Amino acid sequence: MRVFQLQRWSAIALLFFLTIHMIVVHYPPFHINFDNILVRLENPVWKVIDILFLLSVLVHALTGAYQVITDVDRAFDYRKGLAWAAAVIGVVAFVYGAATIWAFQLPV
Amino acid sequence: MSNDNTQRTVTVSIQRFDPDVDKKPHMQDYQVEMTKGMTILDALHEIKTHQDGSVTYRRSCRHGICGSCAMLINGRNTLACKTPLIDEVGHKNRVTLGPLPYLPIIKDMVVDRTTFWEQYLRVKPWLIPPDDIPEKEFRMSKEEVNALHDAESCIMCGACYSSCTVIGLNKHYVGPHALLKAFMRVMDPRDEAPGQRLADLDGADGVYRCHTVFNCIDACPKGLNPTQAIETLRKLAQKRKKFETTRRKRQQHLHEPIPAK
Ligand code: FES
Repeated sequence: MRVFQLQRWSAIALLFFLTIHMIVVHYPPFHINFDNILVRLENPVWKVIDILFLLSVLVHALTGAYQVITDVDRAFDYRKGLAWAAAVIGVVAFVYGAATIWAFQLPV
Repeated sequence: MSNDNTQRTVTVSIQRFDPDVDKKPHMQDYQVEMTKGMTILDALHEIKTHQDGSVTYRRSCRHGICGSCAMLINGRNTLACKTPLIDEVGHKNRVTLGPLPYLPIIKDMVVDRTTFWEQYLRVKPWLIPPDDIPEKEFRMSKEEVNALHDAESCIMCGACYSSCTVIGLNKHYVGPHALLKAFMRVMDPRDEAPGQRLADLDGADGVYRCHTVFNCIDACPKGLNPTQAIETLRKLAQKRKKFETTRRKRQQHLHEPIPAK
């Protein structure tokens, strides 16, 4: 898939996940307290949502950065290397982030 | 619309650069007696003929057709022969002229357009006709002609190319002028190779490099819309195979009369 398409699809996904994120985290229609947050973070459905959110942020940010950097003449010649670098950063950040989200457990 | 009613002296500030003498460009002011209907190009002629023969610029047709007089006028790319002086001088009685940005300056307002033409040729701007050429003529419908969005009236002045910020950073990018031509050929039902054209434009330096800044639309002295053309090419590039099939089918009937509606 083209970088262009990846960026557009991740933007659409972000729109969805950001809306959820803003409602749940910043403007919740319910009283916010620490216990609620812990319960949410421990819920497997929320874990999946957060992992997908992380994935769309990473794809969007890295493809965007790649596009902007390769806009510059000199960087354009190294675009293969840059693409690989972005892919490696993306995979490492995703694995680390997803593992952290998945590993969360309620404190006993 | 200009309101030519005053005869007055105006200042024409020109960016000068002679690579044999200057290290970097500098501005030089000239006083010009503005006459009724005077264009920026007329003012430049006046300066070159009566004040300073070393002022260098390109021009040919003086009618907005050849595209050679494109330059930066008060910070905007446009044609000098099409721009009335009175519209540009404002209350300061001054107009600033410079060469097209992002291109190497040869002298004063003459720029090196090599990359511009290289990118233009890259998209094969000529029509590639089908093997089966009709005996009499190709028949295109009104809609098919309209779909070209007047792209054929592009005069290759370079105003869009040198207003594009992506071109400012990256000379690998095809550029709005060439993409407009490519659009014209891709949309032309007589063209045999729209699929190959779209494949050629599908790379990192093709249609996806455009950031939709709209500078090209703003700069085009012919009022064309290269951004729209680029958007269309992007969409078609993503469904190239389907588009090729539709074209092949259409070409089988290119010699037939268009049915009346
Ligand atoms: S001189 Fe030909 S377009 Fe201006």
